[in-house]
Amino acid sequence: MNDVLITGVGVVSHLGTGVDAFWEGLTAARSTPTTVPDPYAQMKLPLMYAVPGDAVPTGPERYGDLRLGLGSRLAIEAARQAVADAGLSDVPPHRVAVVIGTGMGDSGLHEQWRTDGRPESDRWSPVFSVASAVGSWFGAEGANSSVSNACAASGFGLSLAADLIRSGEADVVVAGGAEAYSRVALACFNRLSAIDPERCRPFDRHRKGTLFGEGAGMVVLESAVHARTRQARRVYAQLAGVGWSCDAYHATAPEPTGTQITRAMREALAAAGATPDQVGCVVPHGTGTELNDLVESQVLGEVLGATPDRLPVYSLKALLGHTGGAAAALALVAAVQILYRRTVPPNMALGEQDPECKVFLPTAATPLTGRYALVNAYAFGGNNVSLVLKEAGV
Amino acid sequence: MSTDLMVSGIGVVTPWSDRAGEAAHGPREAGPEPWFDHRERLGPRGYKYLPSATQYLLAATRQALADAGEPEQQEERRGAAVGTNSAAVAVHTAIDATVVAEGARMLNPATAPYFSINLFGSRLATEHALKGFNLTLTSPRVAGLEAIEAGSRAVGLGRASWLLAGATEEALPEGDPGARTSERGAVALVLEPADRLRARGVRGYGHCAARSLFLPPRAAAGAADRLRGRIAALLTELGLPEGRPHRTVAVVDDSPVAAAVSAALGTGATRVEAGAGSLEPVLQVAGALAEGEGPVAVVTAAGEGNLAVVLATPPERT
Repeated sequence: MNDVLITGVGVVSHLGTGVDAFWEGLTAARSTPTTVPDPYAQMKLPLMYAVPGDAVPTGPERYGDLRLGLGSRLAIEAARQAVADAGLSDVPPHRVAVVIGTGMGDSGLHEQWRTDGRPESDRWSPVFSVASAVGSWFGAEGANSSVSNACAASGFGLSLAADLIRSGEADVVVAGGAEAYSRVALACFNRLSAIDPERCRPFDRHRKGTLFGEGAGMVVLESAVHARTRQARRVYAQLAGVGWSCDAYHATAPEPTGTQITRAMREALAAAGATPDQVGCVVPHGTGTELNDLVESQVLGEVLGATPDRLPVYSLKALLGHTGGAAAALALVAAVQILYRRTVPPNMALGEQDPECKVFLPTAATPLTGRYALVNAYAFGGNNVSLVLKEAGV
Repeated sequence: MSTDLMVSGIGVVTPWSDRAGEAAHGPREAGPEPWFDHRERLGPRGYKYLPSATQYLLAATRQALADAGEPEQQEERRGAAVGTNSAAVAVHTAIDATVVAEGARMLNPATAPYFSINLFGSRLATEHALKGFNLTLTSPRVAGLEAIEAGSRAVGLGRASWLLAGATEEALPEGDPGARTSERGAVALVLEPADRLRARGVRGYGHCAARSLFLPPRAAAGAADRLRGRIAALLTELGLPEGRPHRTVAVVDDSPVAAAVSAALGTGATRVEAGAGSLEPVLQVAGALAEGEGPVAVVTAAGEGNLAVVLATPPERT
């Protein structure tokens, strides 16, 4: 079966645009949410980690009849970076697939139409057309999928992308996730009292919920055979293992014993052939919601022996906010960089770590010791996915 | 990774019929409104605050599982994949109107979680203990067929032993562009490995497999010949022997991409008008399987460029 390699990376986030800006932001470990510039956002806490103005792509505005919102534009920009980074050229279009995870698609565009007026058209504009937009941009003619498993969407999307390569249905998949501001989503999280009034602070004793973030993380996934044949300029890592599960427990709350997230982690590790002591870093789901952080901490301890002082956990959402459907893809981009640069960046300092969340969150840069990295993503509906990355050349 | 899956159960909920063949091919005259009573179809308690598209999918799923004979398997070996395009549009529109006019504090906390489109398909996981996986696909028009495709691939990879796949949609708000062709209803299919079905002594409705592809709209003009070759190649990969007679159903709209597909399939294909969402293609698959004449290829396309092909083949005679 074909190994699945990561040969290109692209990212747009609250930290700016491009992988270098992303890594600099991780290393600086400073981040602050802002108020959304939406006069119709009537809610108590209209806060989020937005993509800064100078990093917001201004186009394209449309492909044919398809008008693009910010979700699509972020995805196209990150895909453009990833494809350029991979040095892809001359791949037959039907051998290139696109898989994008997004929880809200281009909902922001539809929300704007509701308040500002919609363009004249007798055709419905689908909300979840981000992958279609990326496919049109690239000219990719393989499978083209939009996956919308809420906050785990791009984790499942990256899994499906890897499946396409392993099955031989594609040589290259442009895969990842994208999420932009949605008034509807932010209002609903406000109504559910799930927004932290200060900042996103996973594993903090005083955490009060999460805060959304905007962004897109995209990678070029490529079969090992294809990458070798074209002499790809760089291999960042291998997407070596995938584990899925579903709590089948509650619409919004995680199952408190963590039985199914345990299973997803263990299946991903087994598929990758990784033992717990070979894992050098975890980029957790870690949202700042009380029960999620507690259950995930307990399961990490059980599955990996991740007691304080052994395994660095890198709490990405403390810097980016919760980027929803893009979260797993951005976590994967971070994990890829950690493996490639052999360094775990410093975690943003917490006010006081929750003593019940017994995870190691070093606030100084730490040399990576293991050969594997674990990425977790969980979602409403109890949808769980774990991804295991293996360093290149192992 | 490729596993021969057969459909063992079909559930259909539409405003005009709940029988797959009639729903796909019969006259579409809806009964009096409201056409769907959740108390009658699902039970007296616990369903009132679920959005309509969730209710439709739950009802279709119950039909499909009862039809399949409730395939027994441990909970962690049960997978689901659901496609939808417009299930959340009416909910989002109502939420947004409340936020803009009155503020988020006036939202109903029971419906607020449904800003997330995957919740429309997740209640069935809770109700039927589907712990293997529960995918939500949202690609324009092809999402339901992609649910068959991606879910089947996951079964082939060992992530579940059988699959519940389908689509659910709710009408677009009145006055929205495309509201005339918007869809209401759900289709659920139970897919099991053929050898497992034989072991259960069930003949099933037939083999079912799907693949998807993409045609950038700017490349649609003049793409018919190329598409014809690709669709033929995909049907061969899906198990249709070259030269074997088959019926083709094209679920298409008036977009340039759909025009390229229609031209590729030629005049021999039966043309069915696509709705705004992802329901009609799955309904046509259900209809073809229920009628048992085949093989039938169902091909659909969206103006955004997404295409999908399904091959439904009747079970072998024994």
